[in-house]
Amino acid sequence: MSAEAKGPPSAATSRGAISTAGLRRAAINGGVFVLLLVCWIVAVRGFGLKSYILPLPGDVLKALWAGLAVPITDKAGFYLPLWVTLSNSALGFLLGSALGLVLGSLMAEFRPVETAVMPYAFALQSLPKVAIAPLIVIWFGFGNSSKVVIAATLTFFPMLVNSFTGLRATEPERVDLMRTLSATRLETYLRVKLPSAAPYIFAGLDMGAVYALLGTIVAEFLGAQAGMGVTITQLQAVSDVAGVFACLIVLGATGILLHLGTRAIERRVVHWTERSRS
Amino acid sequence: MSSDGSGLSHVPIEAAQPLIEARGVSRVYTTVSGETVHALGQVDLRIADGEFVCLVGPSGCGKSTFLRLVAGLDPCDGGRLTLAGHPVLGPSSDVGVVFQTANLLPWFTVMANVSLPLRVGAGRERPTRTHQVRDLLAMAGIAEFANKYPYELSGGMQQRAAIVRALVRDPRVLLMDEPFGALDALTRERLNVELLRIWQASRKTILLITHSIAESVFLADRVLVMSARPGRILREIPIHLPRPRTLDETPAHPDYVRLMTEIRGLLYREAI
Repeated sequence: MSAEAKGPPSAATSRGAISTAGLRRAAINGGVFVLLLVCWIVAVRGFGLKSYILPLPGDVLKALWAGLAVPITDKAGFYLPLWVTLSNSALGFLLGSALGLVLGSLMAEFRPVETAVMPYAFALQSLPKVAIAPLIVIWFGFGNSSKVVIAATLTFFPMLVNSFTGLRATEPERVDLMRTLSATRLETYLRVKLPSAAPYIFAGLDMGAVYALLGTIVAEFLGAQAGMGVTITQLQAVSDVAGVFACLIVLGATGILLHLGTRAIERRVVHWTERSRS
Repeated sequence: MSSDGSGLSHVPIEAAQPLIEARGVSRVYTTVSGETVHALGQVDLRIADGEFVCLVGPSGCGKSTFLRLVAGLDPCDGGRLTLAGHPVLGPSSDVGVVFQTANLLPWFTVMANVSLPLRVGAGRERPTRTHQVRDLLAMAGIAEFANKYPYELSGGMQQRAAIVRALVRDPRVLLMDEPFGALDALTRERLNVELLRIWQASRKTILLITHSIAESVFLADRVLVMSARPGRILREIPIHLPRPRTLDETPAHPDYVRLMTEIRGLLYREAI
């Protein structure tokens, strides 16, 4: 009987292999980074580029330090605008992903809803949605609400499409199982379809988080009191390109953190896919 | 129907009301390209309470289709299908289904998977009795895996859990659709023995579909041989091999090979 049980994977050998591969990957990544820095410096020096066209990495680092090495409440630092941008993105993200999940679920569960919504969803999906940002600013003004609405709009579509696709991709055998148990529609949805769709939903959340940030910044470009988008336009106005670069690095790091965060949550929630793959 | 009651080890089939009865049951479906396919011809069969019946037939003959009808997953297009005298109108708590794959939900532990029938649908009205579920797990030899996830189990262990899940509402009928088809030969033989033990302990009525002639002869009281599509019952073959059947003695019985040859002959004629 115990012969049938699967033994633990031989951890010792696989761990050794991973560390060698990991080292090699780290070496490649580090090498490419150094190469890019060298190219950057050579380009600036070689072509004699002015610092208001392309600053040196050192200047960018200085600008980054100036923005970060200040008290959190300092008006010249990055923390206040970043907080404004992030809080608006987060609110829009929550709103947009919740609405996307709800409508995606209704479409997956009820054919008439699918028939009614599908053409519009596809038409809007192919529209570059940042293009509607000016319209939303007209409707919601230059305050926080227009940022939240644009972030929500951008998050909504990937969530709608992914949750719909994921729910529809549920293995028919699992649905048959629930039918043989005379489970209600809600029970089947909660216990079978939603967990089945979880990897799709998390992929949607991952995309949505980045889109929410993107939408908020675009909205801030169009006009706002505060936020990273505002900071970037202000720095641009005084030709502080090093400062703009520093802002981009902050936003890039934020994006990576958001991605890693959703991945970490996904690994905890959707624990079965990771492990069943190995 | 040639239901000669003498062939059954338990209940003479004509004496008792059959637990499952099909009269001229047919099933038609339309393919994506608009073609009409007669998946089942006229299926007639009677299965007595406590009987173990195996259904064999060439690929695509409608065995699984018939099982889905008995499970109440699809409606009949013709004929009359009854369970304990009542027409089958939909899934019933009196029927447990074991699918081709274990079909366990990977996000639940084994315990949560096998007790799922007690937490949804008609099962909610019953009080959940954890110790009874544990007894069933022990009977299937997987008690130690109760808190594991399905991906931590071998295919054979997963299929044992699937059988426990089908038994947990204490149904009268167990429908099994090639339950061991995906397993290796050794695991499959061992699970055949275990299934007979579980059947004898729980006194269920089992209708099992299989591709394996050996499996059908080893397990069944009666083997029903189906024709190619549109499927109907070609012949019913009573299996009088003594019980309890074992891997050592049963295949050595003189009738074992004769029965297998008889069934194989019928199937080969159908396959041509």
